Amino acid sequence: MFREVIKMNETFSTLVKDLQAIVGEENATGDRAICTSYSRDQHWHFVPAKNPACIVRPGNKEEVRTVLMLANTHKIPVIPYSAGINVRGLTIPVHDGSILLDLSRMNRILEINPDMKTATVEPGVTFGMLLEQTRKYKLRPAFPDAPLTVSVLANYYLRGIYQTAAADGHDHTISYEMILPNGETLKTGSRALSEMPYFRYGVGPDFAGMFCAHPGTCGVVTELTAKLYRLYDNRKEYFIGFDDVDTPTKFIYNLMNDELAASIRLVDNQSWLKGIFGTFDYPYESLPKFVLCVLVEGVDGVFEAKDKLVRAYMEECGGQVLDLPAEFASTFEHESLGGAEKSCMVFGIKGRGNYHCIGLYGPLTLAAKYYAVHERTALEVGIPQDHVHFYIDPIYSFHGQLCYFELDVFYDGSDEEFGDKLRNYNEKQFHRLLELGIYGWFRPYAGIIEPTAERIGYLAEVWKKFLHVLDPNEIMNRGKLF
Amino acid sequence: MEREEEVLSAIHHCVKCKLCSIASFHPNEEWLPLCPSGEYYGYQAFYAPGKMEIFRAILEGEITEPSEGLLNSVYACTVCGACYEKCKQITSVELGAPDLFEAMRRELAGKGWILDEHKAIADKIEETKNAYGEKYEYKVKEGATDENADVLYYIGCTARYRVPEIADSMLRIFDKLGVKYQVMGEEWCCGSVLFRTGQVEAAKELVAHNVEEIKKSGAKTVVFTCPGCLKTFEKNYPDMGVELLHATQFLTRLGNMNLKKEDLKAAYHDPCHLGRDLGIYDEPRAVLSKVADIKPMKREREQAWCCGSGGGVKSAFDDFALWSAAERLKEAKEAGAEALVSACPFCKRNLKEAAEKEELEVYDVVELVNRCLER
Repeated sequence: MFREVIKMNETFSTLVKDLQAIVGEENATGDRAICTSYSRDQHWHFVPAKNPACIVRPGNKEEVRTVLMLANTHKIPVIPYSAGINVRGLTIPVHDGSILLDLSRMNRILEINPDMKTATVEPGVTFGMLLEQTRKYKLRPAFPDAPLTVSVLANYYLRGIYQTAAADGHDHTISYEMILPNGETLKTGSRALSEMPYFRYGVGPDFAGMFCAHPGTCGVVTELTAKLYRLYDNRKEYFIGFDDVDTPTKFIYNLMNDELAASIRLVDNQSWLKGIFGTFDYPYESLPKFVLCVLVEGVDGVFEAKDKLVRAYMEECGGQVLDLPAEFASTFEHESLGGAEKSCMVFGIKGRGNYHCIGLYGPLTLAAKYYAVHERTALEVGIPQDHVHFYIDPIYSFHGQLCYFELDVFYDGSDEEFGDKLRNYNEKQFHRLLELGIYGWFRPYAGIIEPTAERIGYLAEVWKKFLHVLDPNEIMNRGKLF
Repeated sequence: MEREEEVLSAIHHCVKCKLCSIASFHPNEEWLPLCPSGEYYGYQAFYAPGKMEIFRAILEGEITEPSEGLLNSVYACTVCGACYEKCKQITSVELGAPDLFEAMRRELAGKGWILDEHKAIADKIEETKNAYGEKYEYKVKEGATDENADVLYYIGCTARYRVPEIADSMLRIFDKLGVKYQVMGEEWCCGSVLFRTGQVEAAKELVAHNVEEIKKSGAKTVVFTCPGCLKTFEKNYPDMGVELLHATQFLTRLGNMNLKKEDLKAAYHDPCHLGRDLGIYDEPRAVLSKVADIKPMKREREQAWCCGSGGGVKSAFDDFALWSAAERLKEAKEAGAEALVSACPFCKRNLKEAAEKEELEVYDVVELVNRCLER
C-alpha cells in the first residue's frame, strides 16, 4: 500500500511537470493547499469534499487540447472549471488523482455583434464582464438567477437558464466549439460550415443540444456564441400579493399567453423577495404569503399597450396590488435585467448562510401541487415550516406552460443534523416529483440521475453509448452521477 | 485554537458565490475587481472562499504540513477586508473574513508555519524595537516638544524610518498651528506587523512598553499619522483611558486652519486600516478638499482597491505589492487626477515606489496640509 502511494506521488509529480511544460510553471500545481481550495462547493452536505490531484490553468485552446490529450493517454479524469462559482458538486472530482482544469484565465469576449445580437465568449467570461460591454449596444445577455460572477459559457452549456427575464425564453446557446478528449475539435451549428457562428441548426442533428446537460461533460467548450437581448428604456414594475400559489396562476397564464411581461416571478414573502428588493430591513412578514413581481418593458407604443393590458389583467387577478418603496422596483429591474447581485441575499437569510434547492421544469398547471409536496416532504423530515421556500419563473414561449420551479430550503450550512434532514428530503422528494410529473431537472444534480434513468427506458442505454463514443476512457468526470 | 467552533461555523457560511471579489456591480454595471491577491495569483486559493476552504482543512486535520502554496495563499493577502465589506452587504454574516484570516495566520504561526521574511521582521523588532531594524533614532527638533502637552504624536516605524516626510510634515503642522505636543521618549513599534502576521506572542512586550510610556506621558490624546498603528492601538491594546485619533480627525476637529488651496486635482486613496477597519472615510476627504480638488475614483470607501502593501505583503511579496499599487495609480489617472493622496505612510511608500515611472505624484494628506498652511 505504502509503495502504491509512493508510486502515485511519483506519477503525479511527473504529471505536474508535464502540465507545467504545457501551460507554464506558474499555471499548474499539485500543491496540497491550492488543490484543497477547489475541493468543495456549497453542496458539501451532499457531495463530499475531494481534492483534485493538480490544478491546471490553460491560457488558450491549444493548451486545453494538449492537456486533454495527455489526460486521455493516461486515463486521468479531468474536471473543467470555468469562473470558479460552482454549485451542486458539479466541479468536485469523483475520483482520486483528477486534474482540475481551471479555465478562468480564458476570459476574453471574442465578439459582440450588435447586428446579429450575439456574443462569443471564452469560459472565464462572467455575466458581469459581458454585460459591462453589451450594454454599450443597449443589449444584454439572458441572466441565470445566479451571482453575476458565474461563467456565461458554463451556464449556457449546462443547458437552459431560465429565468430572471421570462421573455428571453429557455435556451440561449447558438453554437460552440468543443475540444474532445482525443484532441479533436467539434463545432456545432453554422460554425461547422462557415466562419459565421450565428445559427444553431447548421447541418444534421442539433449537436449543440446533444452535448449539453450530461453528468460531467463531453469535452471542454472553449468558446460559445450566445444570444443577446435588447435593453429597453421604457420599464414598469408591479408587485401583487396572494395568499396561495394557485390564485395567481390564471394571471400568470394571461401575461404569458399575451406575451406582455419581460420578467415574471412568483416568490414567497420570506426568501427571494429580500434579494429582489435588496434589503433585509423590511417587514416582509406583513406582506401576503406570495408576491408576484412583474416587469413590463418595450419600445414606445408597444410598451404603453402592454402596460395597459397588464393593468387590466391585474384588476381581475384576485390579488392585492402592493404599494412598496420605489427603490424596490429599481432593484428588481437591476436584478432581472442586469444580473443577480442583491438576489444573493438569500444566502444570508437569518444568518443561515446556505441554501438547498431542487430546480425543475414543469407546467404551470402543477404549480400548487409542487408547492404542496415540497411543504409536505419538508415537514415529514423535520424541516420547519419557516425554512420552506418556493418560487416560479414562467418561461417564454409558453408552450407546455413551461415554468422553472425552485423548491428551496435556507439553512445554517454548519448544521450537520440539518444536512441529514436535507438528504432524507432529497431521497423522498426526487421520487415524489417524478411521480407527480415533471418535464425535467434543471441540472444533473447528485442523486437525481439514478431514479430518473430507471424511468427513461432505452434512452438511458443510448445516452451511455453516446458518451462512450465521445469519451471512451471516461475521463470527463461523469462517474459521480452516471 | 480560540473560538474554533465559531471560526468553522463562519467558514461553513461561505457559499462561494465570489461576489466578494468584485465591487458592487449595480447600478453602474462595471466589472471592478476587489481582491488584489485573487486577481494577481488567479488560483481559487487566493480568493476568500478558497482561503476559507484551506483554513477548514487545517482545522479539520486534512492539511498537516506546510507547503509553498499554503504559505503563499495565506500570506500573500493584504488582509484588506474588501471581500468582507461586500460579503456582509449580502449575507449579514457576523464574523468577517479579515478576522478569519488573521485567526488563520495565528493558527499557522502557532505551528511554526511562517514566512522567513516575517520571522525576520519579528527578529528585527526584538533587537531594535522597530520593524525595519534601524539603529538610529528619528530626531525631533530640540525644544519643539512639550513633555506636559496633552497631545502625543505616535510617529510609527514607517514614518520614522521610511517616509520621514510624513512625520516631518505632521510636526511642522503642530508648530505652525501652535499645538503643544510631545512624542514618546522611547517609542517602540506598535506591533501591527506582528499581529497581522500571526506572531501575537512577540507583540506582547511592545504593547506593555507602549502602554506604560503613554500612561507616564500624561497625554490625553494620541495622534497617529499611521492607520496601522491606530488600528492596533484601537483593537489590540488595552483601554488606556486616552483618546486615539488619526491625524485627519485631529485636523478636522481644529476647524479653520487657514489653508491655501492648491490648483491640484487629487484622488484620495482610502487606506484599508483607516477606512474598512476603523470606518474613517469622511475626515480625510474633508481635510483634502481644503487643499486640492478631489477627483473620485471608481472604487472608493468600503470598496476601495487596496494599495497592496499591508498584511506583511510588502516585505514578502514585493512584486505583488507593486502590481497592486500600479493598479491603483492607473485608476487615479483614469479619474483625471494629477496626484494620488493617501493618509497612511505604508500606502504612500508602496504607491510612491510603484509611481516611479508614472506621471503622478503621491502624497500623504498631511504633506499637502503642511504645504498649504500659511504660517
